[in-house]
Amino acid sequence: MVPSLIMAISTFTLPARLAAAVRRATGRSGTVELFYAYDEPSSAYALLELASTVQGRRVTIELLPVVSRGIDGDSALERKRAYALVDGRRLARRIDRTMGRSEPVDPGRVAFLAAWTALGPQGPDLQDFAVAAIERLWFAGDGPIEREPFAVLWREMVGGEPPDESSPAAGEAVRANERRMKRSGPYETPAAKVGGRWDFAQDRPRQIGTWLDELGWSRR
Amino acid sequence: MEPAVSDDRIDWFYSFRSPYSYLSGPRGFELADDYRVDLRFRGVIPMMMRGESVPRSKRIHTIRDVKCEARRLGMPFGPSHDPLGEGATRCLAVSEYANDQGRSREFVLSASTGIWAEAVDLTTDEGLRLVSERAGLDWPGCLAAVRDPGIAERVEANTEELVEIGHWGVPVFVFRGEQFWGQDRIDDLRLVLDDAGLRNA
Repeated sequence: MVPSLIMAISTFTLPARLAAAVRRATGRSGTVELFYAYDEPSSAYALLELASTVQGRRVTIELLPVVSRGIDGDSALERKRAYALVDGRRLARRIDRTMGRSEPVDPGRVAFLAAWTALGPQGPDLQDFAVAAIERLWFAGDGPIEREPFAVLWREMVGGEPPDESSPAAGEAVRANERRMKRSGPYETPAAKVGGRWDFAQDRPRQIGTWLDELGWSRR
Repeated sequence: MEPAVSDDRIDWFYSFRSPYSYLSGPRGFELADDYRVDLRFRGVIPMMMRGESVPRSKRIHTIRDVKCEARRLGMPFGPSHDPLGEGATRCLAVSEYANDQGRSREFVLSASTGIWAEAVDLTTDEGLRLVSERAGLDWPGCLAAVRDPGIAERVEANTEELVEIGHWGVPVFVFRGEQFWGQDRIDDLRLVLDDAGLRNA
């Protein structure tokens, strides 16, 4: 697609605004689809920031955790993971937090959190759990990652025992999110999709809020 | 060889082919106005000319995102003319010459605006002359820079240094060894410069 066409399309927001108006007229709320990964600090920042952005709006966050993502054959993958910690410290500072970790987190080590969230019931309870879990993971300290403290959070916030992360359904739920992310356009996380447009959620938090305003999902 | 990074100095790695570098331009140069730092512009060879590929989804997203960011920042964006190849090489050579002449800011902003907002073809003498002369540079000096192998080596060295510090994209600002990747991290860099007590009174 030629750049001028992409630029022209990007300024044509009427369909998205109309769709949002129809949702409101039919009593439905707005949705932010958030593709994120528990193993990256930028997702921690994005989730906390986005939770604050939607507060007071008739908008919900659809939590779509993934494990596998990124550009195929990315030669800078390891350097990006190391840099993510440096950048994460700065992002944390923006929201008056301090990064607790000094080493990258292996994606497989926290895949159970992605599985639980992918199988959990979307809604405010799940959002509270996701926020608490990612806060604990990234801002609480540098200790080992154990399953049980997160299971306690799940019981408190969602209720019952967390889903079995080793079940075929858990793997499939996360893979479904990964496929959906690819179809939607984002090639990295965290990415937020609103009204047909996606942004890197750690880079454009204010812009996502402005876009929600433009779509009519303003704070009440 | 001089160390890559020292106190009170910012190395700014920039590619004329990167629209995010273009967005960083005015605010990048303002750092030298607002802080007691030696801002060193380091033009680098575009990723695509270094054998790196960019997926289609990333290209499409970048253009859409840059258009939105440019609007937010009050900068023009489009029509553009891709300087990949000769255009980028010639532009980088003149940027080194502009640096020597103390007109780095003028040239970088002029050339980048030419590429990203005026569709100026920098592979032609006409295009390169336009962006150079409006930056206050003499055209014979620019032409000599384009043909000077010593200047080409300086550009190569900038590019190698970006790789050596372990980075992959642009724009990157390096202050006291800390890297700030992206035009959207300039405000974070300013906080660090504030913490370092470098803001001009």
